Amino acid sequence: MTLVLLDTCSYLRFAKRIRPMLGVKFGQKEYEITILPEIQSEVLHSSRLKHNFPWFISDKEIASERLSKQLKFSKAEKQALDNATSVIYNWVLMNARNYKTPPSPTDCKVLALGQIRNAIVVTDDLSMHTLANEFQIPILHGYELLKKMLTAKLVDKELVKEIYAALEVNSDLPRTWIENRDKAFGRIFKQA
Amino acid sequence: MDKILCKQNIQASLQKEGLSQAALAKQLGVSAQAVTNWLKGVDFPRPEKLLKLAILLKLSFDQLVQQQENTQPIIAFRKRAGTKTTETHIENARAIGMLLKPLVPYLQGIHTLRPQLSNPSENYTHLQQAVSEARSKLGLSDQTVLDYHHLIGQFKEVGAVLVPVLWGEKKQHQNAMHIHLPEEKVTFIFLNLDTSIEDFKFWMAHELAHVYTPALVGTEEGEDFADAFAGVLLFPNACAQIAYQDVVRARTTHGKITALQKHATHHSISFFTVYKQVESYVRNLQLPSIGIDERSIHIVRNQVSKQLPLVSEALFSPLPPPPSNYIASVDNGFQSDFFRALRVMIRERDMGAGYVKQILNISLADATALHLELIS
Repeated sequence: MTLVLLDTCSYLRFAKRIRPMLGVKFGQKEYEITILPEIQSEVLHSSRLKHNFPWFISDKEIASERLSKQLKFSKAEKQALDNATSVIYNWVLMNARNYKTPPSPTDCKVLALGQIRNAIVVTDDLSMHTLANEFQIPILHGYELLKKMLTAKLVDKELVKEIYAALEVNSDLPRTWIENRDKAFGRIFKQA
Repeated sequence: MDKILCKQNIQASLQKEGLSQAALAKQLGVSAQAVTNWLKGVDFPRPEKLLKLAILLKLSFDQLVQQQENTQPIIAFRKRAGTKTTETHIENARAIGMLLKPLVPYLQGIHTLRPQLSNPSENYTHLQQAVSEARSKLGLSDQTVLDYHHLIGQFKEVGAVLVPVLWGEKKQHQNAMHIHLPEEKVTFIFLNLDTSIEDFKFWMAHELAHVYTPALVGTEEGEDFADAFAGVLLFPNACAQIAYQDVVRARTTHGKITALQKHATHHSISFFTVYKQVESYVRNLQLPSIGIDERSIHIVRNQVSKQLPLVSEALFSPLPPPPSNYIASVDNGFQSDFFRALRVMIRERDMGAGYVKQILNISLADATALHLELIS
């Protein structure tokens, strides 16, 4: 099994349309998507996120999946996670000039968990990619995960188109998704 | 090298985990010599090895790494009443300081040679003398009202960067925050505008005292001195003398309080500051007490405070201000180079709203709106 850890933005880009998503095994490597419990408080404490993603609270099915499938930690794991997060975040602070937008403590926690649980982190934040590469933590862009889900038939072509269209309408389509659309999903969009 | 591994903690942890240096090297996938070099401080591990080291040895970054002191921000808070400074507050402020470092090259008018107070002391005579000299440099006599523009001009003169912020009246633990970057020789002073107008001038004077006494920043002694200096700067001995004469002429408590309030209003400072300075004057000269009990002072202080607007309410209407108005006020009213430098940096380096959020300690929604204004 290969754990795939979504950051908050990636979760918000997929969760409304891919159901079920968390805890479902797919692909030859048995990818299994998961999230940090912090997503809940991060969205609930942000008026912008609550406004832009009303389904996060109102859709009971998604909320239930989120609460039942989020990661849980032992005491030792929590300690390891705190230590790893402190190393990654302090590295960011010491080298703040190297990042377009220095990753936040929560971003660093996502990467730290990637290291501790051998998970692949999924984010469209380019500074997190820079940081993950420095720490040699496996990382993917959201469109790369979508491609894997398509290959494993967790999503179909119509859903890929639907997700792209929805993100575009919401002005939430990351640059990497646009730049790599034809390379990753050429057949789907040429047919359109 | 500005950072080395903390040999003592690593060796203690190796012993606790029952690991030899050779076994550690093997688990990390490096040579034994590499580990020796790290512990001798001649080399520092690459990030991925540092991370594995922390996980294997169960150490946090601070336990694992020793950093040179002059690379670390020095922090001082002007706390909100009833709050307690915790390690988390200090860590958050330190993180803001580290994140401000990339902004420094974009700032203009940073002076490395700054006026400093030699032998800062809370002794009444010394303090009055120091303030008299500071006022004289501002072209003010000891009786002249010290205005905001004098304080703002002085911050500009010494190259301290003012960062007025809208943190809410009760949301944050601090109402002002002083971050000094010793390596870059730059000081950032965050001032919460969502605060009572009667206290604001005192806080600015308090922060100015920190700028004059960099060696005391972050210490209890520094906080006490800054409070004492601010009080005297706003209401020196000469003012206290006149106020005292007015107060003793009054026959009733109400008359005495009215006399003190008249001076507070004239100087646009708090009633309490005037009272404290008159008390110090009385104590120093061993004069008869002004005869107002503490309880009456606090009742009046609270009544006055409730009637006055917040600084943000006085500056902006309606609240919250559009980002353009807020930035213009910081640029022009506070003569701060902060947003000009930030604008240039963000545009040049294509930086996101997340940076604005982190350095100003504000919500993502506010940071996004500010970011949009800065890149427009």
